[in-house]
Amino acid sequence: MIAALLYLQYHTVRNRLVNRFKRLKQPKYFVGAIVGGLYFYFYFFRYLFRGFGGRPGVNLTFSPEHLQLFELVGALALFVIVLLAWIIPHERAALTFTEAEVAFLFPAPITRRTLIHFKLLRSQFGILFTTLLFTFFSRRFGGNVWIHAFGWWLILSTLNLHFLGSSFARTMLLDRGISNWLRRLLVFGLAVAMAGAVWVWAKRTLPALSSADTANLNAILDYAQRVLTAGPALYLLYPFRLMVRPFLAPDAPAFFVALAPGLLLFLLHYLWVIYSDVAFEEASVEASQKLAVRIAAVRAGNWQGAKKNRKAKRPWFRLTGTGPAATALFWKNLIGVGQVFSVRLWISIIVVVVVFGVMFASKPQSHGFSIVAAFLIAIALGYSLLLGPQLLRLDFRNDLPLADILKTFPMRGWQIALGEILAPVAVLAVFQWLLLLVGAGLVFYLPVKQEALFLAIALGAAVVLPVLDLLLLLIPNAAVLLFPSWIQTGKDSPRGIEATGQRLIFALGQLLALLLALLPAAAAFVGVFFLLNFTSFGPAAAVVPASLAATIILAVEAGFGVMLLGKLFERFDVTEEHTS
Amino acid sequence: MVNCEGLTKLYGEFVAVNELSFSIQPGEVMGLVGPNGAGKTTTLRCLAGIIPPTRGTVRVGGHDIVRDAIAAKKQLAFFTDEPRLFDYLTVWQHLNFVARIYQVPGYESIGRELLEELEIANKRDALPGELSRGMKQKLAIACGLLHSPKVIYFDEPLTGLDPLGIRRMKDSILKRARDGAAIIISSHLLHLVEEICSRLLILKNGRKIIDGTLEEVTRKFSEQPGDANLEDIFFRATSDSGTSAPAVPPVLPP
Repeated sequence: MIAALLYLQYHTVRNRLVNRFKRLKQPKYFVGAIVGGLYFYFYFFRYLFRGFGGRPGVNLTFSPEHLQLFELVGALALFVIVLLAWIIPHERAALTFTEAEVAFLFPAPITRRTLIHFKLLRSQFGILFTTLLFTFFSRRFGGNVWIHAFGWWLILSTLNLHFLGSSFARTMLLDRGISNWLRRLLVFGLAVAMAGAVWVWAKRTLPALSSADTANLNAILDYAQRVLTAGPALYLLYPFRLMVRPFLAPDAPAFFVALAPGLLLFLLHYLWVIYSDVAFEEASVEASQKLAVRIAAVRAGNWQGAKKNRKAKRPWFRLTGTGPAATALFWKNLIGVGQVFSVRLWISIIVVVVVFGVMFASKPQSHGFSIVAAFLIAIALGYSLLLGPQLLRLDFRNDLPLADILKTFPMRGWQIALGEILAPVAVLAVFQWLLLLVGAGLVFYLPVKQEALFLAIALGAAVVLPVLDLLLLLIPNAAVLLFPSWIQTGKDSPRGIEATGQRLIFALGQLLALLLALLPAAAAFVGVFFLLNFTSFGPAAAVVPASLAATIILAVEAGFGVMLLGKLFERFDVTEEHTS
Repeated sequence: MVNCEGLTKLYGEFVAVNELSFSIQPGEVMGLVGPNGAGKTTTLRCLAGIIPPTRGTVRVGGHDIVRDAIAAKKQLAFFTDEPRLFDYLTVWQHLNFVARIYQVPGYESIGRELLEELEIANKRDALPGELSRGMKQKLAIACGLLHSPKVIYFDEPLTGLDPLGIRRMKDSILKRARDGAAIIISSHLLHLVEEICSRLLILKNGRKIIDGTLEEVTRKFSEQPGDANLEDIFFRATSDSGTSAPAVPPVLPP
């Protein structure tokens, strides 16, 4: 029976590859493949071929103490991952099959164990690919490529088996009347008890850290190492250390010595999974349907549609039945944004703010913290401009699968375009204003003498950024209307090296378009700034008018951009794109 | 109410709709039928202004769907075969959204009535993901009817509905027609067309085979009065030889 399943898997992979090669006949995929191939070579592969003329990466060598520290960190990370696997999930065991696999395999005369083997076999494709990527990355810092690859494979495969085994165990507990919350309470209680045992042992056995030591990273690391390599933590982390040891082996003999216990753990996990007799079929059918919906949503570029457990969100403002129609799209997309800003996210933000606030309040006279905070704010602002327009996609990129519905609306193209992109602009602008507000407050704690200049820069940025966001969002929206098959609309969105190459070409194109759009605004800023600066106003007074001048130029460009985007949408032929 | 003159839609060299002309008056229900690939959905999309015609004109309530798109679109509603909804808007938020798009003051009372009529008032705060296929269809219909359209296009309106839903849908279509709406229904369900349509337009390979009242069409494709039902007429009209499809022999008990 397994031969038939192997046949299925083999031909699935083979046909997918053949299709990918076939489509290279189209120039857009061929060019994409060349660019993607060059990217993968220069970013990853050349570090693999050091001995064959490739560029050497950073070849770091580590002392045994460092290796032990890495082993402990890795073991601790694995411990946390495993612990979370026992606490967070709440579903019954469900092996994820595609809908076609469920339709063909579940009614077929195949044993449950064979299905598990098939699932394990198929998961190996994903694991091997992840292993490859991780090896590319870790290899850049030196070490033997085969040791890295096998080490990663062992860790990922064992974790995969553990997740499966724990899902079976969870189902068995549910069948025996032990609810998810009771299980969580028990596991969490056990974890707290273990942490308590380690703490008590350390308190009684090891000398406490002095106040001078708490400021010394080496002393802290040394203390942590002593806690984790003796007493209860030694036994607690030992299996996890065995798992990471092969990966960290410095040479082949050490690798083979470390391999045996690692493989034994892997084998024990395998036996655990195979001999667990748990009915997973019903949950799998449900999971496969949900998976199909999520895949369709993601392939259609609708990441929000792919979200699990969507909840109804209240609108951000009241929408009346009359008024500018574009406001309706803005209102709608803001509700969609509400799906991203979940209670969990708000709690996380509040926790971060409180932690930083407490740290700041404890040492308000310290410039160091203010400098770090200002630096982080500057980085966050930069990333909001770079990544914000890519992450906030509640615009045409999200609604293009519903383009035919949008086209029935009695609205002009520019109204639809404006309504579509306003929500991400508003979210980005509010986020940036908050950052600027905090940054402006920090100015008084920074070791600088030109507070007025810094405040003027913050004010100028507050004026420029919303219009700049609008421009930044116009570019990918125009791109998706001009080249929908290059980006991600429809179910046949491209994947693979050629798709990576296409995205790189697009990113470069977008960057070029942005630079061209920024040139006139930058010229206006520089012109007004120098004019006012040299006519005795001074730099602080010159920044805001210069920013206003740049904003006006950007606003005019954005206005033209919205009109153009509207025209593009009016000309966008839904059927032609779907049939091409 | 809807006037179509020489409508042609090309995809490259492929002719999806070829020189189609017809008109439909208020209160008429026209069935648009034809085999797969005949160009029914493309025709409806051109009539709704979703895709631009390559040639020809479409006027809705006297307004050109291309040149005066806003005025034309304000008068029509288009129901696709699959209900197309926004994942993150609730049932009521969909109505609120559509009300603003179509400028419907006091939409609340109309919306409530529609939800009652379509029996989804208890799902007011549900997201589309929580609705069955039939309920999604009803929500799409509620959204389309909110602005009291004068022209309504249906693309396979009965897909996914249960028997009660089918009955209500037919009643709803006829009610709108009695209220003066011009309705075009594209469907493969010939009994639906026979039951509720006053006119018929048969398409094949993008070309109009015939357009007229049911009596006119029946007369044209019958050798003698009463010798053919709509199914026979459809096969005669769309087959290359102009004959009916062979009858399926009845299943006899063993």
